[in-house]
Amino acid sequence: MPPHMQQKPLTKPMAIQLDSVAKKYGDHTVLNNVSLSVREGEVTAMIGPSGAGKSTLLRCINLLERPDTGCITVEGSQIDAGTNFTAKDLAALRRNVGMVFQSFNLFPHLNVLRNVSIAQERVLGRPRKEADARSMKLLERVGLADKAKQYPSRCSGGQQQRIAIARALALDPRVMLFDEPTSALDPEVGLEVLAVMKELAAEGMTMVVVTHEMQFARDVCDHLVVMANGSIIEEGDPERIFTNPVQPRTREFLRAVLER
Amino acid sequence: MDIFLIILQGVPMTIGLTVAALGIGALGGIPLALGRRSKIPGVSFIAVSLIEILRGIPPIVWLFIIYFGLGTALPMLDPLTSAITGLGLISCAYMAEIYRGGLSAITHGQWEAGEALGMGRPSVLTVIIGPQVFRVSIPAAASYAIGLLKDSSVAYTIGVSEIVYFANDQSRQSSDALGPFFLAALVYVIMTIPCAWATRALDARLRQKVAR
Repeated sequence: MPPHMQQKPLTKPMAIQLDSVAKKYGDHTVLNNVSLSVREGEVTAMIGPSGAGKSTLLRCINLLERPDTGCITVEGSQIDAGTNFTAKDLAALRRNVGMVFQSFNLFPHLNVLRNVSIAQERVLGRPRKEADARSMKLLERVGLADKAKQYPSRCSGGQQQRIAIARALALDPRVMLFDEPTSALDPEVGLEVLAVMKELAAEGMTMVVVTHEMQFARDVCDHLVVMANGSIIEEGDPERIFTNPVQPRTREFLRAVLER
Repeated sequence: MDIFLIILQGVPMTIGLTVAALGIGALGGIPLALGRRSKIPGVSFIAVSLIEILRGIPPIVWLFIIYFGLGTALPMLDPLTSAITGLGLISCAYMAEIYRGGLSAITHGQWEAGEALGMGRPSVLTVIIGPQVFRVSIPAAASYAIGLLKDSSVAYTIGVSEIVYFANDQSRQSSDALGPFFLAALVYVIMTIPCAWATRALDARLRQKVAR
């Protein structure tokens, strides 16, 4: 076992486990047999140069991207990407995973409240009243209860991303995936999204965050994963990696993002 | 003035024929548009072939095939039923192409968001993608509908008593051969202008609500 693993409390069960996940687009290898473990309640940041495969790896966790080979386990639901799995297996795995996208992807034809309620009704079969009550609670939590009747287009980018977080949380996921949640936002606006994410982390949500927000990766995350060229080149305690990266490629990347 | 009133008698038939054909197209276009996008081998080929055949043959030929061809074997195919069937089938193909345009206007992220929320494909289609496709399809569907309103006049060739049918009738009976057709033209313009105006208003309202 590599030394950094011992810093983690080993009692906590695994929330996410990826085993030798590989993906190719033609001749181009996007993910080169990547394995990753995330424990319950852990916040993992994935950083690295663009094209490293961070987003692809994240999207493999809920199979928005289907790997060519590899095994994915999330909260006990397992899918072997190399085999034929059923829609039921996929639904069971996704049932525990919420996702937040870089481009928000709110539904423009539904108002904010409906955006948060619709999947509760369709996936969990919650009655509309119950779903709306839950949605209002979540919108309050992200500070946007007053926007419930608005359409997403009337909300700022930061507000839209907070609504997207509420929408994902509405299904009571045990794991939340964030794909560059602040990259489409002004730096200042990004802060309000990061604040919501910090709160979520403090409450013990298991999170995997692909990000270029180095401060967030360093201060909020428990575990840091550095990717380059479709592989994880270094992982461990964020503070350790930020102050003393082992790999030259990590050092190069950190210098580029921190000393600018 | 009498002639004008007589021609007006054709209006309900023209409108009924247009609405019925458009209704068939609006529904029938959905499976064709989805079939065209299908990844199942053969389905997409069949959908494309159907669309091309339906669009490739002129409406008047379709009506003749249905009314004079099938009609001899199937006595219940009266002129109106034949016209609705023919124009309805053609509308399916055109509406399928309009929906296809609408579908491609929806970003991939919308599908992904639905998927990530654990919604099955039927749910994603009916509550997320479908309503958005209908909205972006409105302007194109409206111009098609206006075109159809005018093109429904081919139905007179198989004896459907719509506007041109009455105009033609009047033209033959009176010394003024052209006049009744001018009146028919006027009736068409009076009908299409409010349609165009209404769709622009509807489109603007929907845009305002869900501007991207």
